[in-house]
Amino acid sequence: MSEIEKREICEGVEFWCVRDDRFKASRLSVNLYTPLNRSTAAANALLSWVLTRSCRRYPDMTSLARKLNDLYGAALYPSIRKAGDYQIISISSSAIDDRYTLNGESVSSELAELLCSIIFDPKLVNGHFDDEDVEQERRQLLEEIDGEYNDKRAYALKRCREIMCRDELYSIGRCGSREDVEALEHESIAAAWKRLLDNSKIIIMMLGNADSEKAFKSFSSFFADKPRKFRKLTATVPAVHEVRRVVETDEIAQSKLVMGYRCKLPATTREHIISKLMCTVLGGTPTSKLFENVREKQSLCYYCASAINNHKGIMSIDSGVETKNIEKAEKAITEQVELLKNGVISDDELLSAKLAMKNAFVSIMDGLSGIEGFYLLDAVSSCSYTPAEGAEIVDSITREEITSLASYIKLDTVFSLVGN
Amino acid sequence: MIFEEIRNDRLGEKYYTVKHSSGLRILVCPKEGFRSTYAVIGTLFGSINKEFIHNGKRVTVPDGTAHYLEHKLFESEDGDAFKRYSKTGASANAYTGFDKTCYLFSSTEQFEESLEILFDLIQSPYFTPETVAKEQGIIGQEIKMYDDSPEWRINMNLLQAMYQKHPLRIDIAGTVESIAEITPEILYECYNSFYNLNNMVFAVAGDVDPEKVLEVADRMLKPNAPVQTESIFPEEPYEVGEKYVEQILPVSVPLFALGFKDKAELRYATDKELLCTCIIQEAFAGEGSALYRDLLDKKYINSSFYLEYSSGLGYGYFSFQGETRYAKEVSETIKEAVKKLHETGISPEDFENARRCIYGRMIRSLDRPSSIASDMMENVFTNRSLYNCFDIFSEITLDEVNERLKHHLDPDNCCLSVIKAITDVT
Repeated sequence: MSEIEKREICEGVEFWCVRDDRFKASRLSVNLYTPLNRSTAAANALLSWVLTRSCRRYPDMTSLARKLNDLYGAALYPSIRKAGDYQIISISSSAIDDRYTLNGESVSSELAELLCSIIFDPKLVNGHFDDEDVEQERRQLLEEIDGEYNDKRAYALKRCREIMCRDELYSIGRCGSREDVEALEHESIAAAWKRLLDNSKIIIMMLGNADSEKAFKSFSSFFADKPRKFRKLTATVPAVHEVRRVVETDEIAQSKLVMGYRCKLPATTREHIISKLMCTVLGGTPTSKLFENVREKQSLCYYCASAINNHKGIMSIDSGVETKNIEKAEKAITEQVELLKNGVISDDELLSAKLAMKNAFVSIMDGLSGIEGFYLLDAVSSCSYTPAEGAEIVDSITREEITSLASYIKLDTVFSLVGN
Repeated sequence: MIFEEIRNDRLGEKYYTVKHSSGLRILVCPKEGFRSTYAVIGTLFGSINKEFIHNGKRVTVPDGTAHYLEHKLFESEDGDAFKRYSKTGASANAYTGFDKTCYLFSSTEQFEESLEILFDLIQSPYFTPETVAKEQGIIGQEIKMYDDSPEWRINMNLLQAMYQKHPLRIDIAGTVESIAEITPEILYECYNSFYNLNNMVFAVAGDVDPEKVLEVADRMLKPNAPVQTESIFPEEPYEVGEKYVEQILPVSVPLFALGFKDKAELRYATDKELLCTCIIQEAFAGEGSALYRDLLDKKYINSSFYLEYSSGLGYGYFSFQGETRYAKEVSETIKEAVKKLHETGISPEDFENARRCIYGRMIRSLDRPSSIASDMMENVFTNRSLYNCFDIFSEITLDEVNERLKHHLDPDNCCLSVIKAITDVT
């Protein structure tokens, strides 16, 4: 696999390319990075759905869907993520490589053109998006936000983050809130479209075997070389004064316990990877401290895992427990976190966490969407490395480095969703 | 032992297969330039294999036994498999489905060591009353977690309503009560029937050398004398058991699943039949279809909507699913569209559009070692083959697709399963 190649189209707009001929498919995406903002998050999210529904060339969803089928089942979809206090709006596409079409058609160039149409040439009437399109997508986005409650594990994690970061931008949902989406004026969708194209940081990413020069030129022609006003944020981690505890009840068979911790924001690439390794040792694998002690030895829960968010300096530990065991589980989890902070990490624990992380890093390179996600998520952070470099760094990390970073871990919020 | 090479030059793909002297069927697909390897071994023992004849003896096991056995095999006398894999860095797992149990790992280093662990764990049953009892707590928690999952519940409710006799209606993990009946003797009986190497298939894809696989197999696999194991399925009536089933759960958007039951057949569908079914599915309810558009325009469904087809020994059904606040209206709209579809058949335009879409999806599945290995294994179990569907793809005609349609989607033989929100009821 060749390395990533980064070129600038104009200020704030970059074209990233990973050439790789091992795959039978290729990917192309446009990714817009913007600071989270309560007044724009919902409009940005709804815009991404409206954009991928139709465009001037394919003015209704059925004609667009049939065009994608015709391009051998090409995919076109929006996704909205958060990385720290940024909102990332992505419009992604993928299709089979030209070498495998039945009649020698060039799917890749058609797909690049189509993506340009979607982003730059939407179906506007007097500068406004189509009312029917907006209403259909608004209804679906509202149902998607409502639906987050259906999956209780994800819901409990989300509630813990909301409570923990209530005074920070990060508490804004990736699609804004239900109320924000409901209140959106039609005009704000077109405004969001203009604002994102003018002011967000844009990364166009292409992966696979397709002709990147052609795509580079197509996209370049749409950006005038004018100064852009992308605002870069400085992340900080607030101090914890006292642990906040919130309990909610629900008609569920298995209760959920989520513990949210503040950590150090990694300042370097090395620290970034140490932080991930620390989390892996604690609760990232089936032989980690949490899995081994809280689930296997004490049978206190069905799952107990930790996850680190290096963009935000947050670690969360979540578990599914029987209601009567919630207190016991919290105590057992706290014990394991203390052991980690005191440097009680066995050779086996360290080695298996390292091997698991190396395996994960190297595996990323065997799938285009994995490679794409890896580079795009870290585009706004201060570190930059390839998966191969990540695997190498993991090898050289010492127990002392982990312990030193673990000393910053501080419990902030305990959220439990308790079955009646 | 010599591998047979199966290749498809147009796709630039090939794999190797051999029946190992131990009795195990082995398939290896090296993918040039890949750094990871995905390996899976499976047996046709799932939740539906509740009754079987083993060397002439008829056996009936408690619900959830296959899943229980999977948990217990993952643990051998010298500790659990996760711990052993943690020394090689492989990411390992196991799962039990309706009709099979699989053990897998994915690795980027020390492949041979990981493979040794995999081969060892499926050959080292170790069940005592104590170890068997210990698993009840964890599996009990797992069952509870699924009880809270609306997606899981709606499907199980649908299957229980549609199938009157077939064990497809049994929850994969069983119940807290049924797993309490499981004993070491039952587990050994099942193990000896289904984990005989002649009844298993091993498949691996990615960064792998076929010769190295053979070396590990020669070293690790003990020859097994073939055993006769035959699963027994009760005769399933054509009609669905119930036309409607509902459950109340804490959800904010209610869910629906509309299942259309096929005539039961005690054989696996062929490549061609399944391709025709895929085309029907895409043409009738894919994102480019008139039905999908109609349901969206009426505000009945959202992007969570999907249609899938499942089939196996003694069962086959389509299931339309998604979030909706209008379950009955969705169901009526789909049934009306189904009636019309049977009158008109699929049009040439829809056929061609869906065909190209399906072809693209098939091509993409060859990019992932995990899907290649799983497909190779599945194909042995079901008498299909990996590249055959590409070879026959161009031959498929609209007439064949419309002929196949006659076996599917009977509007008088369907069932609606609904998960209602608590707030909708109070």
